[in-house]
Amino acid sequence: MSGDGGGEDLDEGEYDVVIVGGGIAGATVAKVLAAHGDRRILILEAGRATGMSADKYRSHVEAALASPTKAPNAAYAFNPNAPQADVLDIRQIEPPPQGDRPPSTEPDTSGYLVQTGPLPFQSDYTRALGGTTLHWLGTCLRMLPNDFKLHTLYGHGVDWPFGYETLRPYYERAETEIIGVAGSTDDQHYPGVNKRSYFGSYEYPMHSIPTSYLDSVLDRGLGGHRIKVGKHHYTVQMSNTPAGRNSTPRGDYQVMGAAGNPQQGQRCEGNTNCIPICPVQAKYSALKTLYELLLRHPGDQPPTPTRSSVKVISQAVATHVVLDEHGTVRGIRYTEYEDESTPTPATSHTARGRVYVLAGNAIHNATLLLASGAANSSGMVGRNLMDHPLILTWGLTAEPVYGFRGPLSTSGLEMFRDGKFRRDHCAFRIEIGNEGWNFSALAPTSTVNALVEAPTEPLFGRRLRQKIGEVLPRQFRLALEMEQVPQASNYVTIDGRYRDQLGVPRPVIRYDLPDYVRAGMSAAKEASDQMYALLGLHPLPRRPDLDEVPAADLFPYPYDYTTYNPTDSGYLTYGDEAFTFQGAGHVAGTHTMGSNPDTSVVNPDQRCWDHDNLYLVGCGNMPTVGTSNPTLTMTALAIMAAENIHTELERRSLR
Amino acid sequence: MATIPFTASSAVTEFAEMSETLTGFDVVELEGTGLVGPLYDELLSTIGSREAGKLLGASSRVHHEYARKDRDALDRAFREAILDDDRYGPVARNVVKMWYLGTWSQLPRAWRDAYGATSLDTDRVISATAYRESLVWIAGHTHPMGAKAPGHGSWSVPPLGVDRAVAP
Repeated sequence: MSGDGGGEDLDEGEYDVVIVGGGIAGATVAKVLAAHGDRRILILEAGRATGMSADKYRSHVEAALASPTKAPNAAYAFNPNAPQADVLDIRQIEPPPQGDRPPSTEPDTSGYLVQTGPLPFQSDYTRALGGTTLHWLGTCLRMLPNDFKLHTLYGHGVDWPFGYETLRPYYERAETEIIGVAGSTDDQHYPGVNKRSYFGSYEYPMHSIPTSYLDSVLDRGLGGHRIKVGKHHYTVQMSNTPAGRNSTPRGDYQVMGAAGNPQQGQRCEGNTNCIPICPVQAKYSALKTLYELLLRHPGDQPPTPTRSSVKVISQAVATHVVLDEHGTVRGIRYTEYEDESTPTPATSHTARGRVYVLAGNAIHNATLLLASGAANSSGMVGRNLMDHPLILTWGLTAEPVYGFRGPLSTSGLEMFRDGKFRRDHCAFRIEIGNEGWNFSALAPTSTVNALVEAPTEPLFGRRLRQKIGEVLPRQFRLALEMEQVPQASNYVTIDGRYRDQLGVPRPVIRYDLPDYVRAGMSAAKEASDQMYALLGLHPLPRRPDLDEVPAADLFPYPYDYTTYNPTDSGYLTYGDEAFTFQGAGHVAGTHTMGSNPDTSVVNPDQRCWDHDNLYLVGCGNMPTVGTSNPTLTMTALAIMAAENIHTELERRSLR
Repeated sequence: MATIPFTASSAVTEFAEMSETLTGFDVVELEGTGLVGPLYDELLSTIGSREAGKLLGASSRVHHEYARKDRDALDRAFREAILDDDRYGPVARNVVKMWYLGTWSQLPRAWRDAYGATSLDTDRVISATAYRESLVWIAGHTHPMGAKAPGHGSWSVPPLGVDRAVAP
């Protein structure tokens, strides 16, 4: 312990730990460190403070409901002083050559991200207190043991510096101490995984989120069937997806209600709105952890041996990691702004601590390091940018499946997450969506518009009502989510020509998908086609005379409606095939962890190879991303990092 | 919130009657949303009182002419007089979308050329309330995404009442 709050260590700075970024990684580090007592912790958040009380949170819900698109960032307005990527900004960068027109060579600068292509990076994130957990889906799958040995086993990507077994206890803590995960180990069916060694005697803190009616219809049609993709056979098996959303607790687990309003959100109520915003906060967000921290460890009071002091400063954009001549971090320079819309007035400050933690989105950790000339002796800062590129398939079923109900997803097909095929193409998982064609085709708006605006005999009145009652309950979609492998050639960098209004460099991104991933898309689409066929859904015959079809005859069923349009922003080809991919919001890999300082940015302690008192946390540390949504793994890693930081602080105090 | 019928102007009553035919939801269901008055006001301010008055007048004439019990005949006449009409059709389709989606869609250029446009004639969500009460969700046997959640686990079984859910 650093004693009574005095002593020479604190002369080094005002805080023990300065954390940049008020999302889940920063909140997790702060919580783990604060629990040890007697720590002064500062969290700098670039965006605004958000709804840590019922009324303020409600205002963000209203904003989302009144938004025309209900896109992931709909609840959190664009803030020009802390700009964020937005899916609505994405454009096709390099259109397939048409006629004599040459492909574009100018980067797309229409959104916040400067995109140089050849493919657009299609994920977004949120810069506001709470970070992207304000709009995450909540899926909490762990990575598989073989994901940590991708290179050794399959000759692709890299290995992690440690294995699943090392991370396992931190997964348990992430699931119980930070996020609160509902799930059942019995319901997890992963290829090649021995559940006894994977979970041990562990059980999730809350019972599973009930599976949707759609899931059970699909399970009846598909469960146990054999399909063959390439030369490999798979048995279709559905798993209930562990999720960071509240359900019935097991044992004495204390369910976390809404931040500042604990009586709300104790169970998922089925608002079908996890993205952009859970109206009741049954789904975890980092606001819950931050709220608890500020209550237990008030920043305006000095720490005691049993209590820490956690201060959050929002609207504080970190601009520079200040280094001395020995490579030791001496401060974080940041700009405080008063008004979101204008760059003035703004003031410059330096936060000082003993240890520093960058906990921003993987893109922003990288741009801050690059702007500071820090941590980059390997040249790997910003490189290995990854996501889970996904392709959607969608159809209308023979009998109603009654979507648009329940959380956005309750089950997945996990049998493609590992296997010998990973030598040939990437692994993937299939997420079953409970929101009809909302993701795939912006339903129900597009459905209504098609019927009401049809060129021939548009519908109104009773026939419209009846038709919608027939079509919407038959809509469903699958998301086929690819494991993207790390490549130095996929990167985020900075370029003095592109800055935001505070003068902070904008992320400049170069992004492409290798054949290994495109081959995975091909295999996944083949698997999807076979499953649709098992369900009796064959490709919809395309009609050139669609304009002449009376509205009443639109949306025939049962059919597979999947179609990829050359004008889609994520349109790409693989041999004779074409797909449209989307981002998953799983921004990862820009400052990877490894055991070799020449090829990685942080060591297995998640400390920068180049700077003794600088730790990085977040998805940027992940050497590979497997096929699990990365937030849970990031949280487990952040707990691990925080314990390392604690040990380091103790060591420094003893010295 | 406006209420009808007793204190409402005849125009609001005419709007409710037109809305019934346009949406397939009866006046009692529409009243239940609390939006009859607000959407009438929205229509009035978005296309102006002259266009709104003419549309409601044309709609009323059809409703007068066809007894309510012969809904099919009324629907046919309404399609001919309103939906297929160059002046009334685009607005009537927008009224359907106001009710079903809580949105207003910018009117076609030709319509604006002929009848003018207000500052409100843009693609927009009318309000969070209009979204929350929009009818597409009821027609689709569900609840609006982000509101009126039916409760924990309700999604595991078909929605209540679907076996008898038929258009009126």
